[in-house]
Amino acid sequence: MTSMPALLEARGLVKHLGGRRVVDGVDLACHAGQVLGLLGPNGAGKTTTLRMLYGFLTADAGTIRFEDADVSRDVGRFKRQLGVCTQDDTFDGDFTVRQNLEIAASYFRPRPTDVRRRVGELLERFSLATYAGDKPEALSGGFRRRLMIARALVHRPRLLFLDEPTTGLDPQARVAVWDLVNGLRAEGLGIVLTTHYMDEAERLSDALTVLAQGKVVAHGTPKSVLGDMLGEHVVVLEADDVTKRVIAAWLDTRGLGEPFAILGAWHLPLSAEQLADFARAFPALRYEVRPPNLDDLFLKLALAPCAA
Amino acid sequence: MRGLTAAFEWQSRAVVARHLRVYLKNWHTSFLPPALEPITLLLAFGLGLGAYMASGLEWHGRRVAYIDFVAPGMLAYATFMTAVFQSLFGAFIRMRYQRTWEGQLTTQIELRHVVWGEVLWAALLTTTYVTIVAVVLSVCQTIGLLHLELALMPIVIPIVFVSACAFAALGLCFTALVPTIDHMNLPIFLVILPLGFVSATYFPLGHPVMAAISTVNPLYHLAEGIRSLLLGDGASYHLAGLAGLLAVMLGVLVPLDMRLLRKRVLGD
Repeated sequence: MTSMPALLEARGLVKHLGGRRVVDGVDLACHAGQVLGLLGPNGAGKTTTLRMLYGFLTADAGTIRFEDADVSRDVGRFKRQLGVCTQDDTFDGDFTVRQNLEIAASYFRPRPTDVRRRVGELLERFSLATYAGDKPEALSGGFRRRLMIARALVHRPRLLFLDEPTTGLDPQARVAVWDLVNGLRAEGLGIVLTTHYMDEAERLSDALTVLAQGKVVAHGTPKSVLGDMLGEHVVVLEADDVTKRVIAAWLDTRGLGEPFAILGAWHLPLSAEQLADFARAFPALRYEVRPPNLDDLFLKLALAPCAA
Repeated sequence: MRGLTAAFEWQSRAVVARHLRVYLKNWHTSFLPPALEPITLLLAFGLGLGAYMASGLEWHGRRVAYIDFVAPGMLAYATFMTAVFQSLFGAFIRMRYQRTWEGQLTTQIELRHVVWGEVLWAALLTTTYVTIVAVVLSVCQTIGLLHLELALMPIVIPIVFVSACAFAALGLCFTALVPTIDHMNLPIFLVILPLGFVSATYFPLGHPVMAAISTVNPLYHLAEGIRSLLLGDGASYHLAGLAGLLAVMLGVLVPLDMRLLRKRVLGD
């Protein structure tokens, strides 16, 4: 898949907001039929990056290319290919669900063909047909998100931006959105996704770009990103302060950094070799070993390192 | 320059079309205020206050009936107030509470089109309102209450449209600046109402200070320009003054609106 030319490619994106460099040289690429997960803790620059990518903000430096063409030469043409589902609901409250889709279609040229049929298709596909005549505020959170995604698709875009599409939804509604995203990927849409839910990123993303403090700190498949950034194993242990100090010193001498703590338990990402060393160094210690996940990565980036 | 030419791009028309669609959903109630307001004002000012001025008032060296003086002023005042209030409250609600603009900006609509869409919509709505007021004035003329050159209304209507664009650009400036809807009182009481008073819409400006201030008030030139046309004096220098002020307002305020709203809406 990655040998194909990228649908969207950004190089060296920089953005200053309020005098602060919030995006600092971000590179990323998204291919057709691929979900690119854009991850990072709060303030990492995800939403700003996304907003530059879909033309809401202008980059201070860097280039954005769509199918190898510089989008700044014809932003309007580029935006015709984009569907955007923002983090917050931005429905048109003066219109019904159906009218929201119709009015969104009127904001694109060339005009989407056969809008009435397209709207009907989307209402069916997103299970919104029952609510077609209702105002969006009458919908539940899950159906509102469905409407947001449906609206982003009304003009048949080739690239879809989903900014935290399932935030605030119950598990059932989240799974329903996942199914929809999966179906859109299968149809060949490129999808750029930001989310705070690591299980969601892991399940949906074909590739991840991880941001921290405005910079890309890792990129690749979820598995390779975890391997590169965390190692193959995570040791979870609870110990007294004395033992923790000894372990911290052991980690320090090997240059392994500091563990992150959750509710008093330490989580130590280690490679297979390091785990073997750890087991030899602390034979009497009781601990659990589990595979790393994106939560670990997220916490490693987001939490301040805990002191011994 | 691109910001100014955006007025003629399809995206600006798409924004206007959206507002028109909303308006037409409630057309039966939306038409009432502009139809009833001139009747109320003509009764209150024209007949009520006018009864105390049986001999009329002095205007450009001749006597005119007060009701004939005030009717053109009503058209100017309706132009000013409708345009400003639509771009103040209507636009603010769409920007802040309904988040309509954010939704539009995720499409091929750019901020410059949103701004022009709001300006053109306010102007279109204002022109519709003024046309309704003109119809009411025609009825009053038919029953002998007024004596105006209403045949010149087709000249007045385009003047109203362009003036409304400039007044809407002024209103949008405040929309971009006020932090909450409660703060709208500041521009209304400090700018809008004073401009309305120093405009010769409902009474002539006899005081030299007010007359001096009014020379830079586009509403004054609009009121006097319309009055000259409808009272049979033809096109006056006020229309030239109005054209100059409107050009300055549109040339300065629209780019300023875009700059202020870019910061406010996009955070850029």
